[in-house]
Order: sequence, then structure tokens, then C-alpha cells
Amino acid sequence: MFDFLGEQEASICGGSHLKRREFLQVGALGAVGLSLPQVLAAKEAGAVRAGHEDKACIMIFNLGAPSHVDLWDMKPEAAAEYRGPFKPIRTKSEDIEVSEILPQHAKVADKFSLVRSVHHGGAAVHDAGWQIMQTGRRFSGGVQTPHAGAVASHLLGRKSDLPPFVVLPELMGRGGGNLPNGQAGGFLGKAHDPFALNADPSKKDFKVPDLLPPDQIGAARLERRRNMREIVDGAVKSFEASEDARLLNDTFHSAFRMMTSEQARAAFDLSKEKQSVRERYGMNRFGQCCLLARRLVENGVRFVTLNSFLTVFSQLSWDIHGSKPFMSIKQMAEIIAPMYDQGYSALIEDLHERGLLDNTLVTTLAEFGRTPKMNPAGGRDHWPQCFTCSFAGGGVKGGRVVGKSDPVGGFPAERPVSPGDVVATIFHSLGLNHQATLPGPAGRPFPLVDFGDEPIKELF
Amino acid sequence: MRILFCLFAVASSLWAADRPLSFRHDVLPVLSKAGCNGGGCHGALAGKGGFRLSLNAYDPATDHYNITRELRGRRVEFNDPTRSLFLIKPTAAVRHKGGKRLHEDSKDYQILLKWIQQGAPGPSEKDAKLARLALTPGNARVKKGDTPQLKVTAHFSDGTQRDVTAWAKFDSTDASVAIVDAKTGRAEIIGFGQGAITAWYSGQIAIARLISPWPNQIPDKVFAASSKANLIDRHVLVQLRQLNLKPSPASTDSEFIRRAFLDTIGVLPKPAEVREFLADPAADKRSKLVDRLLARPEFVDYWTYRWADLFLISGKKLRPNALKAYYSWLRGEIVKNTPWDQLVRQVVTARGDSMENGATNFYAVHQEPETMAENVSQAFMSLSINCAKCHNHPLEKWTNDQYYAFANLFARVRVKGWGGDARNGDGKRTLFTAPRGDLLQPRTGKPQPPAPLDRPAIAADADRRTVLADWLTGPDNPYFTRSIANRVWANFFGQGIVDPVDDLRVSNPASNEPLLNGLAGHLMKNKYDLKSLMRLILTSDTYARSSTPLPENIGDTRYHARYYPRRLMAEVLQDAITTVTKVSPKYANITLSDGSTAKTDFYKDGTRALQLFDSAVTSYFLKTFGRNEREITCECERSNKPSMVQVLHLSNGKTLNDNLRADQSCVTPLIAKDNAVLIEEAYLLCLARPPSAEEIKRLEAVFKSTPVTERRAVIEDLFWALMTSREFLFQH
Repeated sequence: MFDFLGEQEASICGGSHLKRREFLQVGALGAVGLSLPQVLAAKEAGAVRAGHEDKACIMIFNLGAPSHVDLWDMKPEAAAEYRGPFKPIRTKSEDIEVSEILPQHAKVADKFSLVRSVHHGGAAVHDAGWQIMQTGRRFSGGVQTPHAGAVASHLLGRKSDLPPFVVLPELMGRGGGNLPNGQAGGFLGKAHDPFALNADPSKKDFKVPDLLPPDQIGAARLERRRNMREIVDGAVKSFEASEDARLLNDTFHSAFRMMTSEQARAAFDLSKEKQSVRERYGMNRFGQCCLLARRLVENGVRFVTLNSFLTVFSQLSWDIHGSKPFMSIKQMAEIIAPMYDQGYSALIEDLHERGLLDNTLVTTLAEFGRTPKMNPAGGRDHWPQCFTCSFAGGGVKGGRVVGKSDPVGGFPAERPVSPGDVVATIFHSLGLNHQATLPGPAGRPFPLVDFGDEPIKELF
Repeated sequence: MRILFCLFAVASSLWAADRPLSFRHDVLPVLSKAGCNGGGCHGALAGKGGFRLSLNAYDPATDHYNITRELRGRRVEFNDPTRSLFLIKPTAAVRHKGGKRLHEDSKDYQILLKWIQQGAPGPSEKDAKLARLALTPGNARVKKGDTPQLKVTAHFSDGTQRDVTAWAKFDSTDASVAIVDAKTGRAEIIGFGQGAITAWYSGQIAIARLISPWPNQIPDKVFAASSKANLIDRHVLVQLRQLNLKPSPASTDSEFIRRAFLDTIGVLPKPAEVREFLADPAADKRSKLVDRLLARPEFVDYWTYRWADLFLISGKKLRPNALKAYYSWLRGEIVKNTPWDQLVRQVVTARGDSMENGATNFYAVHQEPETMAENVSQAFMSLSINCAKCHNHPLEKWTNDQYYAFANLFARVRVKGWGGDARNGDGKRTLFTAPRGDLLQPRTGKPQPPAPLDRPAIAADADRRTVLADWLTGPDNPYFTRSIANRVWANFFGQGIVDPVDDLRVSNPASNEPLLNGLAGHLMKNKYDLKSLMRLILTSDTYARSSTPLPENIGDTRYHARYYPRRLMAEVLQDAITTVTKVSPKYANITLSDGSTAKTDFYKDGTRALQLFDSAVTSYFLKTFGRNEREITCECERSNKPSMVQVLHLSNGKTLNDNLRADQSCVTPLIAKDNAVLIEEAYLLCLARPPSAEEIKRLEAVFKSTPVTERRAVIEDLFWALMTSREFLFQH
């Protein structure tokens, strides 16, 4: 096979698309989905329900923790220091009122539902909330539980040349608590870590960094490199005992598959969208990430986690303490909420218009909510005791409110919902049996969610 | 059975009635165990349902007030104790949002009831103190499948002791070895290795080590015959024997020279150095190599860079001139090989002009007494005391009062000049000590008398930071020496003996306690000369072990039966690519926190990554391969984890492809050479070893089948293959 390609290289120099496609036919065979046996085993074990093969999830993670009482769970009857400066507005759903700073949400309120009684008992520290909400559990005993997307990657495998689990635009930064943030494969292994884009799709020259070989590396040369790498790399036996070293090799195979794929290239190419579509989402990082998330789901990505912001220090985020280096309520109303409102509503509308919403769950989570009472700086601080998450599509009925908070938004008043319930809801929508088990540390079976955590049935 | 049960019930009620119950040691433990004062319940900052308890009972006086006096005392009914809200809420006899936490027929219920019947006495200064908590068995050899029951005994200052197993909370530190029922203390051994179970009671922690040996058959003579160069090997072999792990044999000379170069000075050995070392017949050539490495100029680059991670030397926090002063100070101390205790003392007691005394910039990075205290603790003791700022530390023994006593040691640090905006100003500031001033403990509204951790308050007229430095680096502080010994160890093995290295709390035990003690002892004896510790490590047989696993140690990931391969750290990898390709990147910009960039002229062409002053220098490669961004004091900011993004960059990115294509690259002079010669040269450059005959044969075949027009390309491809191989990307 090698000789054949070597001759090809001699006759066709330079880099044409035609050649890459030829390579695809040769190269893809060597790197067929690594996780196929796992996926079959998962089906047999009843972890995956039949008929859900096309389900996907977009998890928008609202880093910094939005103020539930200023956005989705308004308290106009409460005293001034609780209710804050904004007024509620009516929406397309009779049951839902949202804040006046989310006017576009009002127009799609028939498509999403709110859960206003989410709470957790973890520390009021950003990173603690990140791991609890994305994995459904607090890490303990040295066990890092996997992100919901890593579970999907493990049980469902990849559907196309694209990785099954992608994070946009970058992995979360540091939250100040020195804790792992839950955006990884955890005990399922780093092979189920997400592929992080590491680029800003709103930038003019946006492309996935290093997705394609440079022009001088044509198909035959690529194959020669792969061949030579195999000769060189086989020498050290010790690597097979190292998880990182095994992972690196698997990653090389996956990378080859992705970089030689026409589909992968097209999926990330936002220039294929009409300018009007791009503008509808907002010409900013969050908006264009929402658009890219839609394209990825269309092209077979199972799970997209979209970090609406990247850190809580000295950058835009939902972390409105009211003092520096954090955000103020004014910044939220004037910059953050409008950007978010536009991107989110465009995503919901667009998915709906394309008929993708039925198979795509869009959920918006955060590490916690914010103090019902405003602080002396006119901001609000961390509050895990009660907050709001939203769900749309993927079988979820829109326009509903599940759960209720007390008169100031301080504690759940009805139907308390745990982080495990939230994650179980995601699994349910993806067709995963939340009571099935994963291979945990020391081979011990580890349930997808803790005993007692259940999907929020009222949503479906 | 029923009779037995009745006897037990009688005995326990006698037990409770026998003595006056203590609010501190009887009542609060019941509330802690039932979860009443947890962060999600009444222990939340704002309490719950109008009733507030301190988190995990850190403030007994206020808890007593809230239970017995708040709301005009309506939570306890002395006339009819069983009707007290304090009892009918947790038993859910009336509506309780937290559900049923206590059963009326339980011992815990009886304790709360008796306490009210006894008049609900509060905590007092005269209460016996919890002197010590003992967990039995403390050290035990167990087998996979065993289910040992742990027992917790509290020893009080009045000499009494009690079984408090029922009120302790249990946790496992390594759930791949042992798991434990948090309430009952029944453990289950599910794997092999050394597991630890922690028990928490009344603010103290005890720990039990459970040793679960692998089911290998290894004759004793294997351990007896294993060579022991120094104390490290003795401690490691004792543990390997306990765990039935067979040590791997010694690494080859090629492996050793590459390993020692990369870990000690962060650069690859040159082909000539490799050839000379391989040809040297001397028996002590490895220890001589170690001596040479410790004296190399690149040693200074590497270790200044490593410790700069700890000191947060970053252009995101400091103006360029101050950054340079801070870096130059640190570099100067590494050049002098200043003992670690003296180096830390210089930082802690720093004063004067930020340009003249670069060490003062530690206090430009950390500007409040609280953050100064937290970061001194984190950097030099590997202790995170941050949680104790708001409440007693939930995982540790540090109390809220101790936190403010410690932070108050920094209350008189004052400064004139630049304020702290990394984008503007001259960065010039003068640090001095004010004659008065205190930090208030917010809970009491009064200053907490300044004191080092676990020590009495210091004299009122003392210079606080001098006292702190004396204590920090002195024999009364058990953390300082262990912290630095563990950090140095982790550099050479990729993991700490206590891991992660920033977390030296009691409930995160060492994988080999005698080994860590031995290293700390060595460092003290050698007056904190870090090079002496490095020499001890580098000349041990443990460090020199092969990374090839044996069937009898393949499961080992913590006990050093073999050397563990790990991906090279970002800067070392970048420099290795520079060394091989002979093309270096340019470092012309820094990226600030807000994403904006600024030019820098600090770095002339050819500057290696390990010579950068600053983690804010713009570099896609370093960021992608997980350098420490120096945002917070934590080695956890660094990541050596392989990822798809890294693989795409190696495959398609500029770093390898553009370097190899450049005219001045390593490829150009090799074009005219014979295939076998250039293949060997490339192997020595990249992997510090000659290729095997088989490798030469297969690679030569590739060369032969490539047309002449592709001559340069195929050499580039050879280097690409070598530098994307795991043998290159990994330390092994």
C-alpha cells in the first residue's frame, strides 16, 4: 500500500481537494470509530434505548452564574432590595414571564421550559458548581465523575468523522477554587474528553486551528508520514502501560480521520452560512458559537457544550458581584443579556425552522444562582440554594414551568430539583437509561446518576 | 436477640443519663452527623427556614444561642421537652423541609432529649477539649473483598475517652482501593494499593491506612537483592514488598541520560553528549553526569521558570519593569543556590522599592492581608486555608479564628505607589510596615490576635512578618519542609508523594509517609540546599528504574515500582523542538487578562521558552500544551494531558512544519548525507539513542522508494515522524 501511494505522490504534487478525498478512502479505513465495540456493548446492556440514534444535546453553560431573579424567575412583589431594577414581561407562553432584558426570549417561550427550583448543597464556589452541574455529582474520594457529554461519547460513540463531544469556544478557565471543573471524561478516561475548538468563530479569519495539513503536505505525503511514524513509534513497550500514552496514539488516529474529512471541514466553515443568518445570531463570540453548535449537531456531533463565557476574572461573565474584577448589574443589562438573548433565541428558532429541535435538546445550566438580596455594591453574590435552568427540544414540551421558588427566589418552594435530576433529564432526552451503569474506578459499576436522581418527567 | 437488644437499649439510656451531656461533644456531633449543619441545610450562610447553624458546628456559642434563645427560646420546651421544635422538626412530627433526619427511638434522639431535660447547658470554656481522635485499625493489611469496620475513639483533655463511631463521618481518599459507608464506617476493599479512610468528628480528622497487596508471588530475595543507593530506595522497597510489587530493572544509559537532562535542566542532550556518555566505561558515570547537570547554566533557566510558577510572575499582574525585577531577583537566588528557607524568608519579610528589591512584588501580586496569608500558606506549605475565611475548614482542621489570626500577621504591610493595574502606570511601589493596624475578624468585629497556624498569639510589639518567617521556616512548622521536598520530588516523578502537590492537608495522605519524612529530614540536615535533594533523587535506583512494566507491577501507578512515562511539559517540549530543528519561535507579545496584547522587547531571537520571564507571553504552542498560566498559586494550572488540539497542532500546525521547511533547519545539512547516517543522526538528536537495525532497514526502504525530487521532503517527514512519536513527546 505504501509503494502505491509513493508513486501517486510523484505524479501529483501540490494539494488538491481531489487528492484529499482519495486519501480519505484509504485513510479512513485505518481509523474507523474506536469506540464501536463499546457502543454495541452499551446497546446490549440496555444503556441505550432504541430509536434515539439521532438525538443530540447542546448544553449552554452560563459561566459566572446568571441572576435567576433578574432573568427567569422575577419577583416583582418582593421588596426593592430583593426584586432588583428590572420588570417582568409577558411571553408567548401564558405560564412564563421573563425579564424585560430578555425580550427575544419572550418570542420563543413556547419552545422552552423553565425549571425554577434547581438547587445544590455544594460550596458556593464557581468550580464546585461547574463540576456538580455538568457531571451531576460532587467529586469525592478522588473519583472524578464524567461530564454528561463524555457519558454520551462513551455510550453512543461517534456518528460521523467529527468527534462525538465538542466544547465551544474553549474549555472553562479557572474559577478561583482550585477544583476540577467537570468538563472532562473523568473516570471514563481522557479518550472521552471533549474536543475544544480553541478559536473565536466571530473573528474574521476564523478557522479551526490546524484542522488541515499545510498545502505542501499532499495525500501521499500524509500517508508516508503516518507510515514512518508507525515505524518509529513502536519502539517503546512502556507506553502501553500509560493511559496518557495510549490516549495520544488513539488521538492521532482520530485526528487523521478528522483532518482528512470533507464533512468535518464543512461543518466548521461558517462562511457557508448566509450573512443574514450569521447576523441573526449576533456577530459576537457567543452568537457565532450558537450557530456553530447548530452546524456541528447537523453534522453528527452528539454533544456540544457551549461556555457562554470563559472565566469570572476581569472578563465578561454572569458573575455580577457589582465590584471589580467582577461584573455589575448594569453590564449584565447592557452587554451580557442582550448578546445572550439574541444568540439563544436565534438558535431555538433556527433549530425549529430546520426541523432539528425535536431531536436536539438545548439546555441552559449554570453553577448556581445569585443572592435574592442585593449586596451593598448593588450586585448579587453566589447562591446555590435555588436557581433556574431551562430545557428546549429533544422531546421537551415548551412553554412550561416546573418547580417554584419562594417569594424572594431564595429556596425551592415546590418540586426541588437536584443536579443529578438535571443530568438525568439530559440522559433521558438522549435516549440513555439513567439507571444503567458505567465502568467506574477499579471496574466497579457506577450508575449514570446517583440513586434517587430522576429525569424531570413534567418536561416531556 | 430481642433480649440483647433491650439490654443494649437500657445500657445506652443509662449511658446517656450517667453524665451531664456536653453541647459541644454530644449535641453538636448529632447535628453534624444528621447533616443539619451542612452547607445545603441550616449550615448555609443564611441558614434555612429561618434557622441557622454554623457550618459543621464551627461556632458552638452562636449555635447554642440560636437553638435555645433565638425566637424567644421557642425551639426548646423545658416544661415538656419532647414537644420542643428542636426535636419535632428533625423527626418530621411537624412539617420539615429537610425531611425526617432523626428517629424517635434512636440514640441520637435520646441525646438531644436528655440534653434538654438537663437544662440545655451551653458550651463553656471549661468544657473538656477534644485532645485527639483515634481511628482503629490505624494501619491494617487487608485483602480485596474484606469489609473492615472502623472504630473512632475520642480522647478528651480531662482524660476520658469515648467511642464516637456513630457520630463520625467517613470518607475514602482513594476510591479505587477502598470505599466506605460515610455513616457507619464500614469499609470495603475493592482494589489493590494503599487506601486511606478518614473520619471526621467534632472538627478533627483521623486517618486509617489500609494496605491491600497485589496477588503476586514475589520471593523476598527479590527485594533483598534489589540495590539500594540511598534512603529513597530503602523506603520505596519496603513499601513495594508490603504491596507485592516487583521493581522493574534499571533503565538503559540512553534512557537515563535523556531522562536526567529533561528533568533537571529541561533540555535534550546533544548527540555528542549522548555518544560520549554511552561510550564512557566508568562505573560512576551516572552520578558524575548528575553533578555536571546540577552545575549547568540551563539549570538556572529551568528552576527559575519552575519556581516562577509558584511566585506568579506574570505580565497579567505586574508592569513590565516590576516583572523583570521580580524575575531577576528570583533568578539571582537560583544562581547563588540560596537555601530554600532563606529564599522564602526574603519574600515573606520583603520591604522597600519594588524595582530594587524584586521580592516585594509578591505583595504587588497579593495585595490584601487575606490573600497574602492564603498565598504564603499555599506556596510554601501547600495548605489551602481559603475555606476557613468564611467558616471552619470542612476538610481540614483550620478554624475561622485561626484564619484571621494568621491573616492578621500581614495586617501592617503598607505600600505607596503603583496600585495594581497591569495595563497602566510605572509599576513602582514602596513596601513598608506600619507601626499599628489590625485585621478585624468579621464574626466578632474585633482583631484576632496574630498567630502562626497552631501556635499561640505572638508578642504585641513583635515585627509580625519576622515572627512569621521564623516560624514558617523553623522546626515548629511541620508543613514547610514537606511541602518543598514534595514539590521537588514531583518534578522528577511527575507526581507528588502527596498528590496533588498543592494539597498537604491531613485528609490527603502521602503514598509513602516514611519516604516523605526521609526526604524532609535530608533537606533539613542539608540546610535546605535543594540541589542536595535533587542529587539524592537523581542518584537513587528508584529514579533510574526502567519505565517498562513487568507483569508483577503493571497495576502500579503510585509506588514507583517502575518509572512512569509522562508527556513533556509545554516549555520543555517547545525547547526540544527548537533544539532538534534549530529554528526558534519569536516571543514579541504578551496577552493581558482582557485579551488585549502588548509588545515586549525582553526576548531576543533564540530565547528558549524556559528563559521567558513571564507566563503571559503570547504563544499558541505553550498555551495549547498546558503551561502554568500563573493566575493562582497552584500547580494544577499546568496540564501535561495530551489532547486532540495538540495532535492537530503537531500534525498540521506551523511549529513542526514551518521549522522543518526553513533553510536553517536541521534538514538542510542532512540532504547530502547517506540514508543510514542521517537516520542515525536524527534518532540521536530526537531520542538520544541510535536506531535499531530493524528501524534502519524499514526507514531506508521508505527512503529508497522516494523519488529524488522528494529528497528534502522525506527527511522532513522522518523528523516529523520522530517528533510526533511518543518516545519524543514523552519523558520515559
